[in-house]
Amino acid sequence: MSEETETRMIMIAPTSDLTPDQLSRFIHQLGYNITIKETCYGANIEGDKDLVHKVIQEVRRLDPNRIFTKVRAYPIGDERRCRAHHGSRPGFNQMEKEWMDLPLIEAGLCAVEAGEACPEKSPSKKLSVKKLMEIAKENII
Amino acid sequence: MKIFIVPPNSLILYDLVERFGHQPLSIMGTLREKVTEREMEAPPLNVTLDDVMKGLKYAGIEVPSGVRGRLAVWGPLIDEAEAAIIVNDTPFTFGCVGCHRTNLMLMHLIRKKKIPLIELDYPHDEEEGKIMVSKIKKFLEELK
Repeated sequence: MSEETETRMIMIAPTSDLTPDQLSRFIHQLGYNITIKETCYGANIEGDKDLVHKVIQEVRRLDPNRIFTKVRAYPIGDERRCRAHHGSRPGFNQMEKEWMDLPLIEAGLCAVEAGEACPEKSPSKKLSVKKLMEIAKENII
Repeated sequence: MKIFIVPPNSLILYDLVERFGHQPLSIMGTLREKVTEREMEAPPLNVTLDDVMKGLKYAGIEVPSGVRGRLAVWGPLIDEAEAAIIVNDTPFTFGCVGCHRTNLMLMHLIRKKKIPLIELDYPHDEEEGKIMVSKIKKFLEELK
Protein backbone atom coordinates (compact mmCIF):
# COMPACT_ATOMS: atom_id res chain seq x y z
CA MET A 1 0.00 0.00 0.00
CA SER A 2 1.37 3.40 -0.94
CA GLU A 3 2.27 5.95 1.69
CA GLU A 4 -0.15 8.39 0.15
CA THR A 5 -3.15 6.11 0.61
CA GLU A 6 -5.53 7.05 3.40
CA THR A 7 -8.55 5.38 4.93
CA ARG A 8 -11.20 7.63 6.46
CA MET A 9 -14.10 6.88 8.70
CA ILE A 10 -17.14 9.10 8.10
CA MET A 11 -19.67 9.14 10.91
CA ILE A 12 -23.14 10.65 10.72
CA ALA A 13 -24.53 12.15 13.94
CA PRO A 14 -27.73 10.48 15.21
CA THR A 15 -29.61 13.79 14.79
CA SER A 16 -28.90 13.96 11.04
CA ASP A 17 -31.57 13.10 8.46
CA LEU A 18 -28.87 11.68 6.22
CA THR A 19 -28.63 7.88 6.00
CA PRO A 20 -25.47 5.83 5.36
CA ASP A 21 -27.06 4.69 2.09
CA GLN A 22 -27.59 8.27 0.88
CA LEU A 23 -24.05 9.13 1.94
CA SER A 24 -22.41 6.26 0.06
CA ARG A 25 -24.55 6.89 -3.05
CA PHE A 26 -23.48 10.54 -2.93
CA ILE A 27 -19.80 9.57 -2.72
CA HIS A 28 -20.24 7.11 -5.62
CA GLN A 29 -21.84 9.86 -7.69
CA LEU A 30 -18.79 12.09 -7.21
CA GLY A 31 -16.99 9.66 -9.51
CA TYR A 32 -13.60 9.68 -7.80
CA ASN A 33 -11.35 6.66 -8.01
CA ILE A 34 -11.68 5.59 -4.37
CA THR A 35 -13.05 2.58 -2.47
CA ILE A 36 -16.28 3.15 -0.53
CA LYS A 37 -17.82 0.91 2.09
CA GLU A 38 -21.21 1.68 3.58
CA THR A 39 -21.35 0.99 7.31
CA CYS A 40 -23.97 1.23 10.05
CA TYR A 41 -22.62 4.61 11.24
CA GLY A 42 -21.85 6.17 7.84
CA ALA A 43 -19.12 5.07 5.49
CA ASN A 44 -15.46 4.22 5.17
CA ILE A 45 -13.53 5.55 2.21
CA GLU A 46 -10.06 4.68 1.01
CA GLY A 47 -7.84 5.97 -1.75
CA ASP A 48 -5.28 8.56 -2.70
CA LYS A 49 -4.85 11.03 0.17
CA ASP A 50 -5.64 14.11 -1.95
CA LEU A 51 -8.75 12.49 -3.42
CA VAL A 52 -9.96 11.41 0.02
CA HIS A 53 -9.56 14.99 1.27
CA LYS A 54 -11.54 16.32 -1.71
CA VAL A 55 -14.32 13.83 -0.99
CA ILE A 56 -14.38 14.81 2.69
CA GLN A 57 -14.84 18.46 1.75
CA GLU A 58 -17.74 17.56 -0.56
CA VAL A 59 -19.32 15.25 2.02
CA ARG A 60 -19.15 17.85 4.78
CA ARG A 61 -21.28 20.20 2.66
CA LEU A 62 -24.19 17.73 2.92
CA ASP A 63 -24.65 18.37 6.62
CA PRO A 64 -21.68 20.39 7.92
CA ASN A 65 -22.24 20.11 11.67
CA ARG A 66 -23.54 16.56 11.71
CA ILE A 67 -20.85 14.76 9.71
CA PHE A 68 -17.62 13.88 11.48
CA THR A 69 -14.53 12.14 10.13
CA LYS A 70 -11.25 10.71 11.30
CA VAL A 71 -8.42 8.67 9.85
CA ARG A 72 -8.68 4.91 10.27
CA ALA A 73 -5.57 2.81 10.81
CA TYR A 74 -6.76 -0.40 9.19
CA PRO A 75 -7.54 -0.61 5.48
CA ILE A 76 -11.15 -1.35 4.46
CA GLY A 77 -11.96 -5.06 4.75
CA ASP A 78 -8.78 -5.88 6.70
CA GLU A 79 -9.24 -9.40 8.05
CA ARG A 80 -7.98 -8.39 11.50
CA ARG A 81 -10.87 -5.95 11.88
CA CYS A 82 -13.56 -6.84 9.31
CA ARG A 83 -16.67 -8.38 10.88
CA ALA A 84 -17.11 -10.67 7.88
CA HIS A 85 -13.90 -12.37 9.01
CA HIS A 86 -14.83 -12.19 12.72
CA GLY A 87 -12.25 -9.48 13.36
CA SER A 88 -12.02 -7.93 16.81
CA ARG A 89 -13.28 -4.37 17.38
CA PRO A 90 -11.36 -3.02 20.39
CA GLY A 91 -12.19 0.60 19.48
CA PHE A 92 -15.94 0.04 19.34
CA ASN A 93 -16.70 1.32 22.86
CA GLN A 94 -14.95 4.58 22.11
CA MET A 95 -16.82 5.01 18.83
CA GLU A 96 -20.18 4.20 20.43
CA LYS A 97 -19.63 6.69 23.25
CA GLU A 98 -18.53 9.45 20.91
CA TRP A 99 -21.39 8.72 18.48
CA MET A 100 -23.84 9.31 21.32
CA ASP A 101 -22.07 12.60 22.16
CA LEU A 102 -22.17 13.93 18.58
CA PRO A 103 -25.50 15.83 19.05
CA LEU A 104 -23.85 17.75 21.93
CA ILE A 105 -20.88 18.65 19.74
CA GLU A 106 -23.28 19.60 16.95
CA ALA A 107 -25.02 22.03 19.36
CA GLY A 108 -21.58 23.45 20.18
CA LEU A 109 -20.65 23.88 16.51
CA CYS A 110 -23.98 25.59 15.77
CA ALA A 111 -23.50 27.94 18.74
CA VAL A 112 -19.96 28.81 17.67
CA GLU A 113 -21.15 29.42 14.10
CA ALA A 114 -23.91 31.73 15.33
CA GLY A 115 -21.43 33.61 17.51
CA GLU A 116 -23.29 32.64 20.65
CA ALA A 117 -21.48 33.38 23.91
CA CYS A 118 -20.92 30.20 25.92
CA PRO A 119 -20.14 31.25 29.50
CA GLU A 120 -18.47 28.80 31.85
CA LYS A 121 -20.87 26.82 34.02
CA SER A 122 -20.62 27.46 37.75
CA PRO A 123 -19.19 24.37 39.48
CA SER A 124 -21.82 22.13 41.05
CA LYS A 125 -22.24 22.65 44.79
CA LYS A 126 -21.44 19.89 47.25
CA LEU A 127 -24.31 18.40 49.21
CA SER A 128 -24.25 19.73 52.76
CA VAL A 129 -24.28 17.35 55.74
CA LYS A 130 -27.50 18.98 56.96
CA LYS A 131 -29.25 18.35 53.63
CA LEU A 132 -27.94 14.77 53.56
CA MET A 133 -29.36 14.19 57.08
CA GLU A 134 -32.72 15.56 55.93
CA ILE A 135 -32.76 13.21 52.94
CA ALA A 136 -31.80 10.24 55.14
CA LYS A 137 -34.61 11.02 57.57
CA GLU A 138 -37.29 11.35 54.88
CA ASN A 139 -40.00 8.74 55.01
CA ILE A 140 -40.04 6.82 51.79
CA ILE A 141 -43.25 4.89 51.22
CA MET B 1 0.26 23.38 14.05
CA LYS B 2 0.49 19.77 15.19
CA ILE B 3 -1.99 19.10 17.98
CA PHE B 4 -1.78 15.98 20.12
CA ILE B 5 -5.18 14.72 21.25
CA VAL B 6 -6.12 12.67 24.31
CA PRO B 7 -7.89 10.20 24.01
CA PRO B 8 -5.49 9.63 21.10
CA ASN B 9 -8.11 7.87 18.95
CA SER B 10 -10.95 10.35 19.55
CA LEU B 11 -13.23 11.04 16.57
CA ILE B 12 -14.62 14.25 18.09
CA LEU B 13 -11.21 15.77 18.81
CA TYR B 14 -9.70 14.66 15.49
CA ASP B 15 -12.60 16.25 13.61
CA LEU B 16 -12.61 19.48 15.60
CA VAL B 17 -8.85 20.00 15.30
CA GLU B 18 -9.00 19.46 11.54
CA ARG B 19 -12.14 21.60 11.20
CA PHE B 20 -10.43 24.53 12.90
CA GLY B 21 -7.39 24.34 10.63
CA HIS B 22 -4.72 22.33 12.46
CA GLN B 23 -3.12 18.92 12.07
CA PRO B 24 -4.25 16.36 14.64
CA LEU B 25 -1.68 13.84 15.89
CA SER B 26 -3.50 10.60 16.59
CA ILE B 27 -2.56 6.96 17.04
CA MET B 28 -4.51 5.96 13.94
CA GLY B 29 -1.93 7.57 11.67
CA THR B 30 1.00 5.90 13.44
CA LEU B 31 -0.69 2.53 13.66
CA ARG B 32 -1.54 2.63 9.98
CA GLU B 33 2.17 2.45 9.18
CA LYS B 34 2.49 -0.51 11.52
CA VAL B 35 -0.47 -2.47 10.20
CA THR B 36 0.26 -1.87 6.53
CA GLU B 37 4.03 -2.03 6.44
CA ARG B 38 5.05 -4.59 9.00
CA GLU B 39 4.21 -8.21 9.49
CA MET B 40 2.16 -8.21 12.65
CA GLU B 41 -0.66 -10.50 13.63
CA ALA B 42 -2.87 -8.25 15.71
CA PRO B 43 -1.43 -4.83 16.46
CA PRO B 44 -1.53 -2.92 18.75
CA LEU B 45 -1.88 -5.96 21.00
CA ASN B 46 1.50 -7.21 19.80
CA VAL B 47 4.58 -5.13 20.23
CA THR B 48 7.98 -5.84 18.78
CA LEU B 49 11.20 -5.91 20.78
CA ASP B 50 12.19 -2.64 19.08
CA ASP B 51 8.98 -0.99 20.29
CA VAL B 52 9.64 -1.96 23.88
CA MET B 53 13.19 -0.61 23.57
CA LYS B 54 11.88 2.63 22.05
CA GLY B 55 9.51 2.90 25.00
CA LEU B 56 12.52 3.07 27.33
CA LYS B 57 12.96 6.69 26.26
CA TYR B 58 9.63 7.52 27.91
CA ALA B 59 9.41 5.10 30.85
CA GLY B 60 11.87 3.27 33.08
CA ILE B 61 12.85 -0.40 32.77
CA GLU B 62 10.71 -1.31 35.80
CA VAL B 63 7.56 -0.16 33.99
CA PRO B 64 5.49 -3.02 32.51
CA SER B 65 6.24 -3.80 28.86
CA GLY B 66 2.60 -3.08 27.93
CA VAL B 67 3.01 0.52 29.08
CA ARG B 68 6.36 0.86 27.36
CA GLY B 69 4.97 -0.69 24.17
CA ARG B 70 2.12 1.82 24.10
CA LEU B 71 4.45 4.70 24.88
CA ALA B 72 6.68 3.59 21.99
CA VAL B 73 3.73 4.45 19.73
CA TRP B 74 2.47 7.56 21.53
CA GLY B 75 5.80 8.97 22.76
CA PRO B 76 7.12 10.08 19.33
CA LEU B 77 3.78 11.86 18.80
CA ILE B 78 4.30 13.85 22.02
CA ASP B 79 7.83 14.74 20.82
CA GLU B 80 6.30 16.04 17.61
CA ALA B 81 3.39 17.90 19.27
CA GLU B 82 3.29 21.68 19.35
CA ALA B 83 0.13 21.85 21.47
CA ALA B 84 -2.25 19.38 23.11
CA ILE B 85 -5.92 18.89 23.97
CA ILE B 86 -6.78 16.54 26.84
CA VAL B 87 -10.35 15.43 27.44
CA ASN B 88 -10.81 13.87 30.87
CA ASP B 89 -13.76 11.97 32.26
CA THR B 90 -13.56 9.20 29.69
CA PRO B 91 -16.02 6.50 30.72
CA PHE B 92 -14.19 3.65 29.00
CA THR B 93 -11.25 1.70 30.33
CA PHE B 94 -11.19 -0.90 27.62
CA GLY B 95 -9.37 -1.55 24.34
CA CYS B 96 -6.10 -0.15 23.08
CA VAL B 97 -6.47 3.14 25.00
CA GLY B 98 -7.80 1.44 28.12
CA CYS B 99 -4.50 1.21 30.04
CA HIS B 100 -4.96 3.71 32.84
CA ARG B 101 -1.27 3.74 33.86
CA THR B 102 -0.23 4.54 30.29
CA ASN B 103 -2.82 7.31 30.14
CA LEU B 104 -1.48 8.82 33.38
CA MET B 105 2.07 8.59 32.09
CA LEU B 106 0.99 10.15 28.80
CA MET B 107 -0.63 13.13 30.50
CA HIS B 108 2.42 13.55 32.74
CA LEU B 109 4.70 13.64 29.66
CA ILE B 110 2.46 16.22 27.96
CA ARG B 111 2.33 18.48 31.02
CA LYS B 112 6.10 18.15 31.47
CA LYS B 113 6.70 19.29 27.89
CA LYS B 114 5.26 22.75 28.68
CA ILE B 115 3.44 23.16 25.38
CA PRO B 116 0.12 25.05 25.07
CA LEU B 117 -2.43 22.75 26.64
CA ILE B 118 -6.16 22.74 27.28
CA GLU B 119 -7.90 20.26 29.57
CA LEU B 120 -11.63 19.62 29.32
CA ASP B 121 -14.26 17.07 30.26
CA TYR B 122 -16.58 15.14 27.98
CA PRO B 123 -19.92 16.99 27.76
CA HIS B 124 -23.03 15.61 29.48
CA ASP B 125 -25.58 18.07 28.08
CA GLU B 126 -25.93 20.62 25.28
CA GLU B 127 -24.71 23.49 27.42
CA GLU B 128 -21.49 21.63 28.23
CA GLY B 129 -21.17 20.71 24.54
CA LYS B 130 -21.31 24.39 23.60
CA ILE B 131 -18.72 25.29 26.24
CA MET B 132 -16.41 22.49 25.09
CA VAL B 133 -16.53 23.43 21.40
CA SER B 134 -16.15 27.16 22.05
CA LYS B 135 -13.16 26.55 24.34
CA ILE B 136 -11.46 24.29 21.77
CA LYS B 137 -12.13 26.81 18.98
CA LYS B 138 -10.72 29.67 21.04
CA PHE B 139 -7.65 27.62 22.01
CA LEU B 140 -6.94 26.58 18.42
CA GLU B 141 -7.47 30.07 17.03
CA GLU B 142 -5.04 31.55 19.53
CA LEU B 143 -2.37 29.12 18.35
CA LYS B 144 -2.37 30.46 14.78
